[in-house]
Amino acid sequence: MQPTSLMKEEFLKKWQMGLQIYRPLIDNTSVSERRKAIKLSADVAMASLRRGTTCWSRALIQKTATENNFLVRQMLSGIKAETLINKKLPKVMCHRKIVRRSKKNFMRRKSRSVSEEVAAKARKLIKRKTQGLRNVVPGGEFMNNDVLLIQETLDYIVSLQTQVNVMRSIVDAAEAGIERTACYLEKLKFTIED
Amino acid sequence: MDLTGRFGGRSGDGVPFREATALESLHLDGDDEFRQMVPPGNGGGFTALLELPPTQAVELLHSSPSSSQATHHSLGTLTTFPSNSVLMERAARFSVIASEQQQQNGNVSGETTTSSVPSVERIKNEPAETDSSQPLISDQAVSPCPSQNNRCGKRKDFDKKVKSSTNKKNKSSEENEKLPYVHVRARRGQATDSHSLAERARREKINARMKLLQELVPGCDKIQGTALVLDEIINHVQSLQRQVEMLSMRLASVNPRVDFNLDTILASENASLMDGSFNGTAMQLAWPHQVMETEQSYHHRQLQQPPPQQWSLDGLNQTVWGREEDQDHGNDHNSLMIGSANLHPNQVKMEL
Repeated sequence: MQPTSLMKEEFLKKWQMGLQIYRPLIDNTSVSERRKAIKLSADVAMASLRRGTTCWSRALIQKTATENNFLVRQMLSGIKAETLINKKLPKVMCHRKIVRRSKKNFMRRKSRSVSEEVAAKARKLIKRKTQGLRNVVPGGEFMNNDVLLIQETLDYIVSLQTQVNVMRSIVDAAEAGIERTACYLEKLKFTIED
Repeated sequence: MDLTGRFGGRSGDGVPFREATALESLHLDGDDEFRQMVPPGNGGGFTALLELPPTQAVELLHSSPSSSQATHHSLGTLTTFPSNSVLMERAARFSVIASEQQQQNGNVSGETTTSSVPSVERIKNEPAETDSSQPLISDQAVSPCPSQNNRCGKRKDFDKKVKSSTNKKNKSSEENEKLPYVHVRARRGQATDSHSLAERARREKINARMKLLQELVPGCDKIQGTALVLDEIINHVQSLQRQVEMLSMRLASVNPRVDFNLDTILASENASLMDGSFNGTAMQLAWPHQVMETEQSYHHRQLQQPPPQQWSLDGLNQTVWGREEDQDHGNDHNSLMIGSANLHPNQVKMEL
């Protein structure tokens, strides 16, 4: 399962749109500002590929919207930006009484065999790792369902790979072709003036 | 179908049991589908796109011109374009995006027809579901093609059902509708009550997805043990995120010179070219050598025929043109993407 050229193409289009919107803002700024702008627009482009069907993309859009509302609104103007930005993610419901009761039960179950102990430890470890994964994937804290979390992670990884592929090819091309661009544009200028 | 009938017959005494079996059957059904394509409720149908060969996907993408044109028309009539050239450019870009989205819609429905024909047919046979899908159809009555619309609506309905049943909400409404499912059987020595059946189905589903994840993450398929696999996945995601940071840093450090050059050039160019070649200006930040390509091609086109410089307020006219441009664009990307995922400097020079 690798990112297709179709996805890359779409991502590139979105990202270019974002950069173009950002252009007037980043023309005369420092490198760090520009880096932030590029990162933001790439993130929004990646998230908007899913059109709000996945949890992580919605979470990412909301996160970026808090940082730069204008850009996100401009970039998502085709896809009902308002609903995506303002849509509340489903909260994980956790009843206090039930949690307390389960803790009590857990404490009561002291007498266990060795194999049970080991199994419990393994389960605890997996739980901790899952929590780590939740922290890494955007919007992971809203996915109370393990299946959902893994699905979203799958989706997120494929999107990230798309993003990285496109960005890398662009950076390579930009670094390699920058001199050639200058030459070519000079030539172009002359032809236009003629 | 037979089994649901039977369960329906004895639903008086065994309601919870039936509920559970329907549920886990749904899980399994989703599972099978996931192997073919990710359920679009969560995956957005993109992994299904991954499964399709790219040529086919492209064909599907371009197969719904009528619907996109219709939206263009509505867009064109709604928006009045100002005389400012930059704003016009932007507006054109947006209309292009809108068309793209519409095409994507068409694409999704096309997928439904190709990859999951059986499920759709099954749904079609059921009168209750068509009833429930009516409001959805009326909701998205944008595209003029009714059959496509129907499919979309049904598809969404189906997805909604799968989602809601996994969330274990509004079971009572689910109960009334007959759902397509795969029967789960307990092997010898396994518990047969509904809870453990459901739990087993859930575990199987998680395992299947974990396997997919292992395939996706490089160097992860040899590792045994869920905790280690999860560790590896976390590392992979973090490394990807760091790569994005690094790449944006590199691009930010590269950009200003390109910007400067292009700005001076564009300032010297005449306004008509500026108006016409929003394509090139769109490219300029991101992909310098492609800028050249597009501008080159644009010049060729200009030599052959005068470009549509007058931006008439007629929505259809201009947006159709925009779409043409867009498709050309897409082809450019495609060839580049497929041919050179990792561009060598030498290769770039060769191309130039």
